Amino acid sequence: MRLLWMQAGACGGDTLSLLSADHPPLEQLIDEGLELLWQPSLSTDSTRRLTQIIADIIAGRTPLDILCVEGSLITAPRNTGLWDPLGGRGKKDVIAELAGAAQYVLAVGTCAAYGGVHAAPPNPADCVGMQFTRTQADGLFRADWRSRSGLPVINLAGCPTHPNTITKALAFLLRGLALELDPWQRPTDFFTTTVHQGCTRNEYHEYDVEDTTLGGRGCLFFNLGCQGPLTLAPCNQELWNSRSSKTRAGVPCFGCTSPTFPRDGNLFRTEKLGHIPLQLPLGVQRAHYMAYKDLAQQAAPERLIDRKMEP
Amino acid sequence: MPRLTLELDLNRVEGDLTFQVEVEDGRVVEARCVGTTYRGFEQIMIGRVPRDALVITPRICGICSTAHLYAATLALEDAWGIAPPGNAIQIRNATLMAEVIQSDLRQTFLFFAPDFCHERYADSPARAAVVDAFAPFQGWAHRETLRYSRRIIEIVALLAGQWPHSSHMTPGGVTAEATARKIVDGQSLVTEVTRWVEQRLLGGDLEEWLALSDADALSEWLATRPATALALLDQAARFAGLDAIGSGSPLMLAFGAFPLAEPTANRSHWLTPGVWRGGDRPVVPLEPARIDEHVRYSWFRPYPGGKHPLAGETVPDYQPASDRYSWAKAPRYGNEVMQTGPLADLLVDGDPLIRSLHRRAGGNAWLRQLARLRRMTHLLRFLRQTFDQLAARRHEPHIMLLPDGIEQDGRGAGLLTAARGALGHWISIRDGAFNRYQVITPTSWNASPRDSAGTPGHWEQSLIGVPVRDPDDPLEIAHVIRSHDPCLVCTVHFLDAGRQTGRRVRLGV
Repeated sequence: MRLLWMQAGACGGDTLSLLSADHPPLEQLIDEGLELLWQPSLSTDSTRRLTQIIADIIAGRTPLDILCVEGSLITAPRNTGLWDPLGGRGKKDVIAELAGAAQYVLAVGTCAAYGGVHAAPPNPADCVGMQFTRTQADGLFRADWRSRSGLPVINLAGCPTHPNTITKALAFLLRGLALELDPWQRPTDFFTTTVHQGCTRNEYHEYDVEDTTLGGRGCLFFNLGCQGPLTLAPCNQELWNSRSSKTRAGVPCFGCTSPTFPRDGNLFRTEKLGHIPLQLPLGVQRAHYMAYKDLAQQAAPERLIDRKMEP
Repeated sequence: MPRLTLELDLNRVEGDLTFQVEVEDGRVVEARCVGTTYRGFEQIMIGRVPRDALVITPRICGICSTAHLYAATLALEDAWGIAPPGNAIQIRNATLMAEVIQSDLRQTFLFFAPDFCHERYADSPARAAVVDAFAPFQGWAHRETLRYSRRIIEIVALLAGQWPHSSHMTPGGVTAEATARKIVDGQSLVTEVTRWVEQRLLGGDLEEWLALSDADALSEWLATRPATALALLDQAARFAGLDAIGSGSPLMLAFGAFPLAEPTANRSHWLTPGVWRGGDRPVVPLEPARIDEHVRYSWFRPYPGGKHPLAGETVPDYQPASDRYSWAKAPRYGNEVMQTGPLADLLVDGDPLIRSLHRRAGGNAWLRQLARLRRMTHLLRFLRQTFDQLAARRHEPHIMLLPDGIEQDGRGAGLLTAARGALGHWISIRDGAFNRYQVITPTSWNASPRDSAGTPGHWEQSLIGVPVRDPDDPLEIAHVIRSHDPCLVCTVHFLDAGRQTGRRVRLGV
């Protein structure tokens, strides 16, 4: 299968995430027949060749199986995209043409999926995502857009995308395994588990043993802005770099696979109604949660209250 | 021979980069660094609460996110007058060292070395061995770098949760302790990567390699180990003539790499800060107040002369029809053009081998690349020592409780060494939120456009005189620029200059 990777308004983090994937690693996919027509950090062909590759794809001379887009689509100034140009045109327009010729279009990272950090207020470069802008179902493409395979843009959300989510999704396509998408167009194989699930601070959360400052062993959900219970991502199910996750290392989950990332306001503070967070774990009713937490707190064992357990 | 204007697009750098280069009689006579993409990070920071910088600014750059996190943390600690505990410094350093080793390895073998497989070098004496080592996804050095660069960043994940883009540093410390189990895992990763570096890259013991002190000793080392990645790189780079081109500005800037947990009167960092001037008094102390940024040739709202970043502003003013040609500002140190990176780090710190090579042949493109590999080997040693020191003091705190009311309005700076050189964040907090956030990345120094006086930046200077054998494929320029490990995603936001002379050719290298 032929893959073309375009980098728009990006930090390169998803390319580095691709290089950091270990299950499977990129080189294994290449050995298996994934052909990198172009990857900006890895291709040794000259960029003249890229111009030719793009022309051949758009003219139908080279079939394109997979288009990966990394980075926010920059539309400034005045919807020309010239703050991120390619060959004298807005790169967003080149990407739109390539997407029209591709079997599958993958938005790799929250920037390409939903706009991401660059679309945070005041959105200085007028950034959009491929098919969403934040939570609005309208980006470079409208909601009804479909690639040649019949699928909309496949959003491998994350800032960056989990390394193995990238290579596994590519392996699915290589091996003909179907991808099913959730309402945010994320493949359900990677986005049905909360970050909370598998967090090694779970027992603290269970008994409502909550930290108020960073650096401790307790749960980060009630006071320190952790989005783990409301964020769908595999971070604690399939560890990062085969080792760990942010929450295991005491860093709150910032909900980077969500269209609203980064949320407005203080990223290290949990907004509360009374003593209960305003945003509850996914799908949970406030009254039930309050009752559960009050009971849980009373049941908390000393070993947790004293922070004896190493997360 | 007519004067040609070439427009060169460059990949295998972080981000997009274009150069406009004027070639006369087969040599570059003028260069302008032209890039792409304005993302506006500094504007996004305005109005956000201070700690949000720990989440937002790592996203400036995917390959050096830990460095941005560290700089943001130091700037907040500077503003609030916080001195974190020693273990916090060690843990921060360990994660940054691992990130820099990762970057140096990937830059060398994934971004820089593949150019030596170019068909132009088909007749080089070491051709078969070079291709066998450096061909993408096939060569042994390329494949092993993919593997071991993944291994070394597991150290960041152990201590910080993930790489890229964690936020494990915070004013007053780090978010998690280095437990004995993590320390043992970290030591084991350092051992594994060091063994690979010894066996496959260097062909000998790390300490013996670090003890090499002059150019002759290096020649002898390489001659007896012709099959190592280092020797192959050396042969390929010399065959391509990289030891004679691309010196650029002779002045070099080092912000100091990795603050010591227990600084002494003589030493504040693992690699000391300073400014390399050469001559009789080669290193002078760093004076951050002398840094300013010019926008005469940049697409920002004009102001005369330069502004210190604490008084700086970033207001886009896109004027493609003017003589301004750049989204980047022009940073200067005492009005002088500086280069920054591993060569600066090691010359300032006094690595005898690098100083010896510099005395002999000046600051050429190959020495710059060799300095990057040499620094990577220093870091493996520092990283081992850092874990050993953490093991000895593992019961000491990794974070301090901040006194109430310490998070006041104020100004601060965080200066450090990232993989590509001197990185600074300058901040101002008013009414509990940022009212100013200025970042100067290493590539801003190297890729700077002309300043108020019209003086070209370091890259623009480093290309002057570079031979261009084939104007349709100016590989020499690619070598020189990639020897700097450009990171365009951070800062360099140039657009087209619109200035044309002679024949205009659009090329890629």
